[in-house]
Amino acid sequence: MTTTTAATASDAAREDHATGSTSSGRRRVVWRVGRWPAATGVVLGAAALPALAGPYVVGLASSAVVLALLAMSTQMLAVAGLPSFGQTAFLGVGAYTAVVLAASGITDGPVQLAAAAATSAVAAVVTAPFVLRTRAVSFLMVTVMIQGLGYAIAVHWTGVTGGSDGRHTPPVTLGHGHPLTSTPGVYWYAITVLAVAAAGTAVLLRSRLALIWRGHAGHEPRMIALGYRPTVNLGAAYVAAAVLAGIGGALTVAINTFVSPADLSFDVAAAAFAAAALGAALSGTPTMIGALAATVAIVVVRDYFGSNGTGPLYFALLCLTVPYLRPAATGLRTWYTRRRRA
Amino acid sequence: MGSTSATIAVTGLGGLAYGLLLFVVAAGLKLILGVMKVMNLAHGASYLAGTWLAYLFADGTLTGLALALAAGLAAATVGGAGLAALLRPLAGHTEQAVVTLGLVGIVVWLFSRISGGSSLTVPRPGLLDGHLSFAGHGYPIYHLVFIAVAALIAVVMHQVLHRSMAGIALRAAIDDPPIAATLGLSATRIRIAAITVGTALAVGAGVLGAPVLGPAPGVDATVLTLSLIVVILGGAGTNIRALLIAALVVGMVDYVGAVVAPGLASFSLFLVVIAVLVVRRQGLRTAVAA
Amino acid sequence: MNAPLLHVGGVSYGYGAAIVLHPVSLHIAAGSRHAVIGPNGAGKSTLLNVIAGNLVPPAGDIRLGQRPVTRLREGARARLGIGRTFQHPAVVEQLTAAENIALAIRHRRMRRPKVQAALEQVGLGRHAGTPAGQLPYGQRRLLELAVVFAAQPQLLLLDEPSAGLDPSEITHVGTIIRQLPDTAAVIVVDHHLPLVFDLATTITVLAAGQHVFSGTADEVREHPVVQAVYLSPATPDTITANPADQEEPGGAATAGKPPRLRRTLTVTADTVAVQEPAVLQVDSLHAAYHGATVLDDITLSVDAGSVQAVLGRNGTGKSTLLNTIAGLHRPHRHTRIRVAGVELRPAQPADAGRHGIALVPQGRRLFASLTIREHLALAARRTRRQRQEARWTIDDVLDLLPALRDKLRRYPAQMSGGEQQMAAIARALLTGPRLLLLDEPTEGLAPQVVDQLTGTITRIAGTGVAVLLAEQNQRAALAVADRISVLDAARIAFSTTDINGPATHARLAGYLGVSTAGAAA
Repeated sequence: MTTTTAATASDAAREDHATGSTSSGRRRVVWRVGRWPAATGVVLGAAALPALAGPYVVGLASSAVVLALLAMSTQMLAVAGLPSFGQTAFLGVGAYTAVVLAASGITDGPVQLAAAAATSAVAAVVTAPFVLRTRAVSFLMVTVMIQGLGYAIAVHWTGVTGGSDGRHTPPVTLGHGHPLTSTPGVYWYAITVLAVAAAGTAVLLRSRLALIWRGHAGHEPRMIALGYRPTVNLGAAYVAAAVLAGIGGALTVAINTFVSPADLSFDVAAAAFAAAALGAALSGTPTMIGALAATVAIVVVRDYFGSNGTGPLYFALLCLTVPYLRPAATGLRTWYTRRRRA
Repeated sequence: MGSTSATIAVTGLGGLAYGLLLFVVAAGLKLILGVMKVMNLAHGASYLAGTWLAYLFADGTLTGLALALAAGLAAATVGGAGLAALLRPLAGHTEQAVVTLGLVGIVVWLFSRISGGSSLTVPRPGLLDGHLSFAGHGYPIYHLVFIAVAALIAVVMHQVLHRSMAGIALRAAIDDPPIAATLGLSATRIRIAAITVGTALAVGAGVLGAPVLGPAPGVDATVLTLSLIVVILGGAGTNIRALLIAALVVGMVDYVGAVVAPGLASFSLFLVVIAVLVVRRQGLRTAVAA
Repeated sequence: MNAPLLHVGGVSYGYGAAIVLHPVSLHIAAGSRHAVIGPNGAGKSTLLNVIAGNLVPPAGDIRLGQRPVTRLREGARARLGIGRTFQHPAVVEQLTAAENIALAIRHRRMRRPKVQAALEQVGLGRHAGTPAGQLPYGQRRLLELAVVFAAQPQLLLLDEPSAGLDPSEITHVGTIIRQLPDTAAVIVVDHHLPLVFDLATTITVLAAGQHVFSGTADEVREHPVVQAVYLSPATPDTITANPADQEEPGGAATAGKPPRLRRTLTVTADTVAVQEPAVLQVDSLHAAYHGATVLDDITLSVDAGSVQAVLGRNGTGKSTLLNTIAGLHRPHRHTRIRVAGVELRPAQPADAGRHGIALVPQGRRLFASLTIREHLALAARRTRRQRQEARWTIDDVLDLLPALRDKLRRYPAQMSGGEQQMAAIARALLTGPRLLLLDEPTEGLAPQVVDQLTGTITRIAGTGVAVLLAEQNQRAALAVADRISVLDAARIAFSTTDINGPATHARLAGYLGVSTAGAAA
């Protein structure tokens, strides 16, 4: 199938079929100065949060960790040029894997995380051949459908999921130690998992595989002409993203000792998709830092300031303004230089 | 025996009405996807807005329904033109989709402010309430009327698409926008028309379908998912018949499944999607290359 | 003797109804330098795409070494050692030059020095960290060559490596290709004959999808048939080398019959406004395509009722010129395009259409989901203003193009190439144009259909429509034109109304023909 894309591309170039498409390479924004001090500050601040804020804020931060994992999962596919709305389905796979384990007496946190990662990877491998026949808007469309089907299954498969009422689980344990029940304890567990996942993601995004993903995102016919297999390489991105989401699912269970279809609802998918997209819209290219920053912004604006019910409105305003900032800045710059020349 | 077959008939009628409802919404979504190449995540929210208008104007008379429909079409016109303007400066699929998410947020917020976050029941107009008795069993009149109206919409859409100049122009614009433009068809106007008509179909379906699938939190996501399934199963091209068949299959499976085997409903839908995609070897790529 | 590296046996290809490549056979030895030349529409790119695996030929077989690859997809063939470039440089614009090359080098060992060496080889050593999208067009072409070389293919397919480059850049590209190791075989498709004769030891000549001749560079240079083909392609009596299979499906149905008008057209030349001599006036048109300057300061005008033909090699910007006038391509600022004295806003196709410009685009571009009748109805729908000065009715058009009369219910895919071309012309005429832009209308058509088409164009001009024709088929262009203009190196090289003068022919041969001038000895 993919070869047809290449054929039409070369075919369309038979002479100059001019339709006026000029694509300019986007500039990568890199903040070199102060990068390490800033990162250290963020990590220290995050670790010290339970000492600085009340349990409500700490609980909110724990749930933000799950959203951050979902946003990173979405962003990983965005790096490969695939806009996904359906990562919550893999969050569901991971979460209900943890639920099933907990129900059978396995409450060890890392074990649940590993199992969740494994099952969501399997789910991704099974669905990848279908989903990866599509690109761009079609991919987005199919992943919206996957999100909806995942939610519907969570609602109806009551035997496993408990339906809309959800399932309660015992708190996770670490090694042979005590069950994790205190809010700060759960929070530290969550940010440790996030840190490990982020480190793994960072390594992956500096690898050759990520270079290949970016190649596919930028010019698939060129990659095929070099002998790369799109389905295999993009499939790797799809599986890696599913693993991140699956870990987020197991973490949801650990944080809330409860999971329900609401945890993989349209709203959650929307927040994760928006976090990745707004991060990319600001920096001009899909970056993990952007996704994480946008996650924090969404949680602060929607859940902290908007806790009285105005949250959806604040979230909407973020979605309706941030994407225009870069086009507006570019437009202003062009207008300014043109005026100076004239 | 008799009562069983009658139950099946009544349930089937419900499934038919539900399928046609999905058809109208999905046709609107397909129109926007085909012309704009934009994933409109607010399409379900448009439906929700329609159901809420039906609730607002419902006074048990047909006039109330007509008023709701008129208000819905007016809202769709304004909303469609607004959405077209919002999407114009954005290039990426992701940015465009995020902006439509912003619209979802506003609709959901408004709805939660008004309804207090609970489901609302929209009464049927008195004239269409009640049942039509046939062979000893009652069929809801509203379902029958709804089926007639939705079927009429399907026929009109088919006629417009294949018999009218507007339909020809629309198909030309979907096939090759630049060349259509050289024939004097303004790309901007066609985009605005497509998104307005597409939104109007969703809002209109919401107004008429409110007694079937009423205003409730989350209904926007449900309708979006189901209409997307219909669009994907309906396949590529401007084929109204394929879209109609897909909508009826999805409607029947979801509605009848929920009545007959509540636990299985979403699985059966899932299995239908998988089966169709596996059987159709060309699969998704042709399905979505509208 | 060893088997050749590449064996191509009797492959053919067609787009829809039009056959663009009649059965062709080729044998390429390891390390050889082979070129494929021929006029536009000769099937060169198609042949390249068939070898690369982008297109699946309905007939014939392809072997790489001993291995049959006919059924393999493009990616699988790439893994067996086929590398290729595209007509527009295919590099990943978001990645840096070094990252683009790193993608081509599979083995991790020594990757970094190899990347730097590959960049140095094409003279991009200083641009390792520059995103490819920010490189100028010529350097993107060099980068693509470096990427493909770095993959170390056994067989290298180069599709128009000189397109869009200036003379010094072409020389540079030639030098780089010549430096390739002898282990790699190269097939190059290019219009720039000095480059071709410089690089290739063996050459295949294609014309109108037919294999005309294969031989050494010297044989090709001296071959009279090749000379004739290049000067007047698709002429039956010159293609004697391979007379088989000339017929185009469906084309035969319309061939031979000259189009008879059942009634005279409703409008004749003298009803056209005479106070406006130039229908089209283009001043200082500048345009770029994919970053390459394609048109530089073009000035031209076309009068009512006259035909102006724009000639030029592939990639000289003929299509860009027509598309810019039709509003499909945005020119640089300061470009002025006026129709009947009214200045057009740039890149507004609907606006251009309303002012009386109609385009018959290259490749016809009919609407796949519309029947022919619907095409005509769509084009004939008019606004009130246009209705008052309506010129063509559907009946007029069907009288002019009778082949369409019994095809009205068909979809484009069910028609031959010639019929599709007629439908595209009918669609354009029904918008009631003052100016008709025809982009390569003879491409892929059988000779008889070409003759019929030239008659049609003359008749259209006879009704007072101004015609601007971009054409590679020189014979067809000369048959209809009142004025010819030749594009070369982004400018109009010369323009004359002396169509059949010997001086004109000599100059045309210099710009378009198999000129041996400038070729390396």
